[in-house]
Amino acid sequence: MKTLYAEGDSILHRASARSKLVGLLLAGILTFLVTSIPLLIGLLVASALLLLSTRLGLKDLLRRLVPLAVTISILCGLTMLLQTVETGIISLLRLTLLLLVSTAVTATTAISDVMDEITAAATPLERLGLLRAADIGLAIGLVIRFVPEVAERYEVLRDAHTARGIRPKTLSLLVPLIILTLRDADEIAAAIDARGVRR
Amino acid sequence: MDIRFEDAEVRFAGRTVLLPVRLDLTERRIGIIGLNGSGKTTFARLINGLVRPSKGRILVDGLDVTAEPDAVRRQVGYIFQNPQNQIILPIVRDDIALGLKNSRLPKGEIEFRVQAMLERLSIGELGGRRAHELSGGELQLAALAAILVTEPRLLILDEPTNQLDLRNRNRVLQTITSLPQQLIVITHDLGLLDGFDRVLLFDQGRLVGDGVPADVIAQYEALAA
Repeated sequence: MKTLYAEGDSILHRASARSKLVGLLLAGILTFLVTSIPLLIGLLVASALLLLSTRLGLKDLLRRLVPLAVTISILCGLTMLLQTVETGIISLLRLTLLLLVSTAVTATTAISDVMDEITAAATPLERLGLLRAADIGLAIGLVIRFVPEVAERYEVLRDAHTARGIRPKTLSLLVPLIILTLRDADEIAAAIDARGVRR
Repeated sequence: MDIRFEDAEVRFAGRTVLLPVRLDLTERRIGIIGLNGSGKTTFARLINGLVRPSKGRILVDGLDVTAEPDAVRRQVGYIFQNPQNQIILPIVRDDIALGLKNSRLPKGEIEFRVQAMLERLSIGELGGRRAHELSGGELQLAALAAILVTEPRLLILDEPTNQLDLRNRNRVLQTITSLPQQLIVITHDLGLLDGFDRVLLFDQGRLVGDGVPADVIAQYEALAA
């Protein structure tokens, strides 16, 4: 399985996982409190510089950003059509800013560190008997782990269609992609049981 | 360990996948063979509760697998047919450490045990590598390390040399045969069963052979002819 984490020695790589996750949370809150377009543009430039400081290659950056950037563009385009142009632009700036910051965090933080921090953050809830903290950490870690896996699976299916002379269409790829992803999820669940990770 | 099948049967979607089995497994090296779809994996998965019996029960050292799966899994490690499905975290070292996270061991102790396990299997250089970059043999050894680090008393391996080239096959085989644990190995690689104490043969969901390797392998070859 591939990983969103990219090894490196940037300032963000060296920062603790906790500080990065808290920073991401604060960036998310701040972004939705700001309504000024010039200020959002300033924050967007800052987040772009933050992402560039991770020293990811251009190809790697595009691979990470393009799929979500397309989705964000569609969403914001619809917002502009259905509401106002200004609302659409604000949404575009907010979501793009979050995309850049979260990409910087996931590229510089190993999944196991994210899981440890989420588990630590959820521990007070475990003490109240509400949940098992390790389960929350594991669940979020698995979601992050599956992102590149699903993207890779999509590429394999697209290549398989092309190899058989069938023009790949999103809908015809979606059904096998969902089935294969669910099958993989079953296997991972079996592996978690077999390895006693949730004891 | 003493593994006891008491008329364990598995039915799935109205079809009997495994007909009732009644036997005791106490030997140190046990092989399971049979044609594809004969029920080998279902039989093995019953031992650590990955598959539940529709009827009957399985006892591992007196523990009912259905009633106490966690207690059984602490002692029974299972290596999947495809090690890709076994590895949960992308970095080898993180994945091996995952099995120890619930042990409440200090972080330093977990790191020490992970490194010791990597070195024991002579794969110390793989610790920082990403699982998707490993060769088939390396992946199999990484999956093995992730299970062995939890110190199971019994290890079940589902076709451990499947899809490996000769060099990797020999490397994995050498590692497996040197393990002190009790082993149950599902395999199509009949040469792997040299020196085993007992071999079980399955056909169409039924246990049809049970004995020393030479006899059961001969029976299998006749069946497959």
